[in-house]
Amino acid sequence: MELDKKETQSQQNMEHNSTGLRILWTELVRDKLALVSLIMLIVIVVFVYGISFVMDQDEIVKVDLFSIHEPPSKEFILGTDYGGRDVFGQLIIGTRNSLSIGFIVTFLSGVIGVIFGLVAGYFGGHIDNILMRVLDFFQVLPFIMLVIVFVSIVPNYTIVAFSLIFTAFSWMGIARLIRSKALQEKELDYVQASKTLGTSHFKIIFREVMPNISSLIIVTMTLNLASNIGLESGLSFLGFGFPESTPSLGTLLSYATNPQTLENRWWIWVPAAVMILVLMLAVRNVGEALRRATDARQRKG
Amino acid sequence: MSILEVTNLKIHFPIKTGLFNRTVNHIKAVDGVSFQIEQGKTYGLVGESGSGKSTIGRGVIGLEKITSGKVIFNGVDITSKNSNRKEIRKNLQMIFQDPYSSLNPRKRILDIIAEPLRNFEKLTKKEEIKRVEELLELVGLSKENMMKYPHQFSGGQRQRIGVARAIALKPKLIIADEPVSALDVSVQAQVLNFLQDIQKELGLTYLFISHDLGIVKHFCDEISIMYKGRYVEQGTIEEIFNNPQHIYTKRLISAIPDMNPSNRDKQFRLRKKVQQEFDQRYHDYFDSEGLAYGLKSVSETHLVALQEDVEKVW
Repeated sequence: MELDKKETQSQQNMEHNSTGLRILWTELVRDKLALVSLIMLIVIVVFVYGISFVMDQDEIVKVDLFSIHEPPSKEFILGTDYGGRDVFGQLIIGTRNSLSIGFIVTFLSGVIGVIFGLVAGYFGGHIDNILMRVLDFFQVLPFIMLVIVFVSIVPNYTIVAFSLIFTAFSWMGIARLIRSKALQEKELDYVQASKTLGTSHFKIIFREVMPNISSLIIVTMTLNLASNIGLESGLSFLGFGFPESTPSLGTLLSYATNPQTLENRWWIWVPAAVMILVLMLAVRNVGEALRRATDARQRKG
Repeated sequence: MSILEVTNLKIHFPIKTGLFNRTVNHIKAVDGVSFQIEQGKTYGLVGESGSGKSTIGRGVIGLEKITSGKVIFNGVDITSKNSNRKEIRKNLQMIFQDPYSSLNPRKRILDIIAEPLRNFEKLTKKEEIKRVEELLELVGLSKENMMKYPHQFSGGQRQRIGVARAIALKPKLIIADEPVSALDVSVQAQVLNFLQDIQKELGLTYLFISHDLGIVKHFCDEISIMYKGRYVEQGTIEEIFNNPQHIYTKRLISAIPDMNPSNRDKQFRLRKKVQQEFDQRYHDYFDSEGLAYGLKSVSETHLVALQEDVEKVW
């Protein structure tokens, strides 16, 4: 009975899942770890954006010399740092900033990378050659050093500016991947058929080829998101991120370089460390599950 | 009047190697081929894998760059840059070999068949659906199939969807690149008969590319045999099958299996004889590079690639 049910269900799936997105979804639901990760991720995102909405950033970053290094209490849920600033507030705002930067960078670098890769792969030949040399140029630049230089040059330092700088140096990976896939895809007969039917190159690239590699695009962008969320924290930790007036997970972590804080004042740096770990692991789990789903041999069922 | 006239067509692919991607040599996929197709006829191109028969088709329709030569379609030279590409595209369509990869898996049948209509004809949604319905009916599929996706059809059905797409614009010439070789034999006949039916109905001309001599004999009016990018023999079906002149053609035809077991000895002797001739007189048929010679005419329609003086020896 149950088997029958399952079979008809899978048949129904067969009829509808031609989009491939459905496969991704069913695979995600089947993988319990990924599902839990996804739920946790959604909860964190909603929670962080929700709370930060009612929080006053200026109030949080205001230095209060009478409440330096206070342990967690009713007034300060996660205590205060060396400036008497509320760690919980910094954690929420910092996570929001990291998430925003992660989303913006992933989206922008995804758009640039996909278009670049599709055009290079689809046309091939000289166009491919030229575009790939441009890409190579971007790839040989020392990423961290350039970002640090840009960061010190740009006077007005906001989330958007930060994201744009990062985007400029992080679209190459996805462009390469999409190009290699587009090179394969354009040799297939349905692309050739579209050419003989008089469809324009623009339409073929974005209406024919792109939908067929959409699952690859989704998977790559999810995996990129995991690393992009950590970007800002890493730079702030090194001291090249946001100034202390803008709360950041990296800034909170960097307080742990003070041995006193590391040993006696765990409430300052542990929450930030756990948050980074949880966020990156969760996104990565989801991404890995999606990646597995695109490879029929690695699917769970 | 001939609808397609190909004169001395050459399609060469460069071989690039080394540090600077220098062109060191060329692969001569098609090396000086000429033929013409009459309106309403079916012209067969036969040859082994890699003989360049598909490349000719792809060159004519513009998927492959033509190195040199002239292709005159419907009185217009389509190799010249200032020819009206759009008008040519409309009248020249192609049926692809593999029905599994030639339909975009992400598109509904409606979108697949309507693609050429959307490119060339400004139709309203209603008119478009009506046209697609007609086309589906013409290829023997019901209109309920319109909203389905390609993976829900069998190979034969898919190929017929490919045909519906190719005839949507009522083209004058259809290039059929091994249209049935990916299908199993029972479905092959079905698709071929169907192609012949719509040929009569719409007055189509086919350039039929195949490696299956049985199908070609059943389907074509005129055929040519290709070997390594060159023509070996060209003529009507009767001339090629009853009076093959070139050793390559003879070998091909003697290799067709005979259904009648009582002919077994006869068939065996014929093959033996052909093999003997091939062994002894190889250099009369192929030059030092193993390529065929230029074409000489045997009769008005029958051309064979032979050396000048061979005819005297015979």
